[in-house]
Amino acid sequence: MKSLHTYIQIHKTTKRHATRFSIVVVVLLFGLFMEAYMHDFNLVYITLFFVFSLAFSAGPIGLLNLGNLEAAFKPSGRFFALQEGKIVLQLHNNSSTSSWSITVHHNKKEVTLLPLLKGHATALLQLPFTPQKRGMFSYDACYLQSKYPLSTVRFTREIPSRYEGIAYPEPKGVSLHAFMQENETYYGEEKEFDGLRVYDGSQRLSHIHWASVAKGEMAVKRFSKETRTRTLDFVFERMEGTVEERLSQLCLWTLECEKHHLSFSIHMPHKHLTSTKESIDEILVYLANA
Amino acid sequence: MRFLSTLQTLKPSALGLLDMAYIVVLLPLLLMLKVPMLLFVFVVLVLLVFKKEPAKPLQLFFVFFFGILAIYLSLYGAFSFRGLSRLKLFIELLVYVLLVVVSLQRLTQKVNFYLLLSPFLLLALSLFFYHGMAMLVYVIVEIFMLLWLILAHRMEGDLVESFRSGMVMFMYSLPWVVVLFIFFPRISFEHATYGFKGEMEKRMGHDGVMYLDGNAELVPSDRIVMEVGFDTQIPPSNALYFRGSMLYVDKKDHWEPLPEFIQRKNARPYTTQDTALSYKVTLYPTQKRWLYMLDMPAEPIKNAMLDTDLISTVKKEIKEPLHYAARSHIRSTYTEVLDEPTLQASTLFDKDQNPKSYRVAQDIKQNVATQDKRLSAILRFFKDQKLTYTLKPDALDTNHSTDSFLFDKKRGYCVHFASSFVTLARMAGIPARVVTGYKADLSNSLNLYLSVKERDAHAWAEVYLDEHWVRVETTATATGMDAQTQTVLATQNKNELLDTLNLYLLYAKYQVETWILHYSNLRQLQLLDYAKSNPKFIFVFLASLLTLILLTFMIILYFRRPLYRSQHLAALQPLLNLLQNKGHLRQSKETLHQYFLRYSEEYPHLHQHIALLKQIDALYEQMTYADQNHATDLKKLKNLVRTFTKAKND
Repeated sequence: MKSLHTYIQIHKTTKRHATRFSIVVVVLLFGLFMEAYMHDFNLVYITLFFVFSLAFSAGPIGLLNLGNLEAAFKPSGRFFALQEGKIVLQLHNNSSTSSWSITVHHNKKEVTLLPLLKGHATALLQLPFTPQKRGMFSYDACYLQSKYPLSTVRFTREIPSRYEGIAYPEPKGVSLHAFMQENETYYGEEKEFDGLRVYDGSQRLSHIHWASVAKGEMAVKRFSKETRTRTLDFVFERMEGTVEERLSQLCLWTLECEKHHLSFSIHMPHKHLTSTKESIDEILVYLANA
Repeated sequence: MRFLSTLQTLKPSALGLLDMAYIVVLLPLLLMLKVPMLLFVFVVLVLLVFKKEPAKPLQLFFVFFFGILAIYLSLYGAFSFRGLSRLKLFIELLVYVLLVVVSLQRLTQKVNFYLLLSPFLLLALSLFFYHGMAMLVYVIVEIFMLLWLILAHRMEGDLVESFRSGMVMFMYSLPWVVVLFIFFPRISFEHATYGFKGEMEKRMGHDGVMYLDGNAELVPSDRIVMEVGFDTQIPPSNALYFRGSMLYVDKKDHWEPLPEFIQRKNARPYTTQDTALSYKVTLYPTQKRWLYMLDMPAEPIKNAMLDTDLISTVKKEIKEPLHYAARSHIRSTYTEVLDEPTLQASTLFDKDQNPKSYRVAQDIKQNVATQDKRLSAILRFFKDQKLTYTLKPDALDTNHSTDSFLFDKKRGYCVHFASSFVTLARMAGIPARVVTGYKADLSNSLNLYLSVKERDAHAWAEVYLDEHWVRVETTATATGMDAQTQTVLATQNKNELLDTLNLYLLYAKYQVETWILHYSNLRQLQLLDYAKSNPKFIFVFLASLLTLILLTFMIILYFRRPLYRSQHLAALQPLLNLLQNKGHLRQSKETLHQYFLRYSEEYPHLHQHIALLKQIDALYEQMTYADQNHATDLKKLKNLVRTFTKAKND
């Protein structure tokens, strides 16, 4: 009874669409029927009944193939406006038998293929998605589809939950490093250096300490201005460009600061954001909704 | 197992799968292709094997031209606009055109809709050409193979998994096919022939003329002439006489039927107290017009004639297996008031041809008053002559065949006995005639099935006594059998087990032919009528159907079961399923050990479960990696898993 109940539920939630191969089956059935009826060929009758029964049994088999799948969105990474991100979709097969030839249709035209999901197994799919603007977005119109087993019926099943996320401003503008280089006079001449640190690829070539390199150690000079423990202050209203450009610039600097573990604060017209008080994500959310 | 692992590693492409489908559907059609088309197919195959890249336009043009030429040469002489009205030719042309088109498309190495569709068209077309047992088996295999290949295409070329899925689908379909086949309403059309070439087998044994010279040498053959299915019971051995033809005219070296001008076309109905026995016959191609019926036919067969001698014929020669239902009264006599020409033909003899026999007959005629006593006297005389039954008699003097047989050679088989007896009876004043046909052997029967073989061809006599034709088994007067014949017959019967097996196979084949290949609206109605009057049959039928469904369901379960790399992983599966169902999902690339460890960390308070899980984990690791895969370990693992699942469920 439980199985029957499950099947009825699956039947209700799964849509069936005829494909062009179903037309082939209908034409074939009609042709075989005529051949069998007109000439009383029992072999044709047998073929006719097999084609009919197989096409008929393809329905429940295809239904269970797709219907036993449970799909849910999982927390995904950060999304930025106009940059491709990945939405994580978890598929779990509730049945002991494998599900075949599953495609996830998302973002209106994109298709992600999952050829096989074994019984009681779980798969995580990364669906590419590019938000068109910053702010809240919801990701729906996503459905599972399968033509298993005979390609005569296309089974589709909408994913009940939808993914709601936030797209941060597109991180673009002048890099923090270039910005600081431009404004290095603010922090003094770099004639003297305080010590050495490991070269991580982001420093200027002129900062490489060649004496260390000669000894086999890739080191760069550490200047006193860098060791100064201070907070970078970004003031929204003093920045140039449109609102979107300024938010994009702030988003880029926020990410760079996060990368280099730099403390910073952002002065927005009505809010003062500090990396020591708010998390990076909270700051980014504010920028997204600003 | 090696085959299975090879299959598992094979991942054929869509084109490869399509090639396999074409091989499957083309095999039966290759048997009907003419040589030019076969040559064309061969050339295309060579091109496909040796040419890996798509064919260039010039090559395609060459193949197209060759294809058209092959079609022209294959149908040369047979083709005309009139010929197109013959379905066979039309279908043949269709197959040829389809083959050329498919070859051209295949050579481009692009899979299009029409290339996918064509195997099904070829399958449907092949069904116009073959309707036998072999094709029945092949069609079922063919349907399964095509299903398998379609599924393999859907399942990324996984041949093993697609085979399993194919079996499941096939088994789902089977009960439906059976039910539809039995109950789907039929219309009583005759099988279309459309000038189809029939099975060009020619059956010997009985051909309407009985030779007494070397031509009549009997070569026992086990080829089946006809198969008979009785509705209620098989008659006793001494009643299994199937009438073939009636011979009246003695032509010295052979006997012939009455000439055409003596009209004995329509049987006069006769009344009898006996209940007629119903039976169905499958008669294989004889190239003759006779239909064989048991003595004595009760009524004409549908679409056949029954003449006054109770000989049944059809208008055209039988060139393909024929199925007919018949009814006969099982008896050795029947009433007839003879007309003058027949009476004359039945009493005609040449006393100078066989003077010795004539003298004997005259003695009997003068000394015995009544005809029935004369008959007994003739039979006694035959027995006194110490005649020997042999399959290889010495050549008779055909100018005096009866004298030669009765007084000189004294060796012969049914033909010689019947011929001599009829001659002697006529000389003694008893109208007589020779009957040829088949005397079936009861050892070739099983349940209600009886097969009649060429070796059962027989000749006997009928004498006219008191307005009755009475059958006389003339061969029964033989006093012995020669050693050579005994050896031949003994050789043929020596392997009883093989004969029995053969009989069972024939029986199965007959049942398949009767109930599947020649299932018709008549059979359907008979079945329904029978079911109406026999509630027990309905019960048996439903029980059989249920058994079939259960059987298919078991096969489905077998093929739907998950496959595991090892027995111990299979033993672990209930536990894994339980954990998954309880929401403890196994993460991607997480080993089982890590999975169990994570469970222990997440649920530290479940001490009993964790202890069990640790044991299971340790044992599983040991079985997997320490290569200690003993039966006892497996049993222990199963027990632990059972204990864990039980505890967890509780």
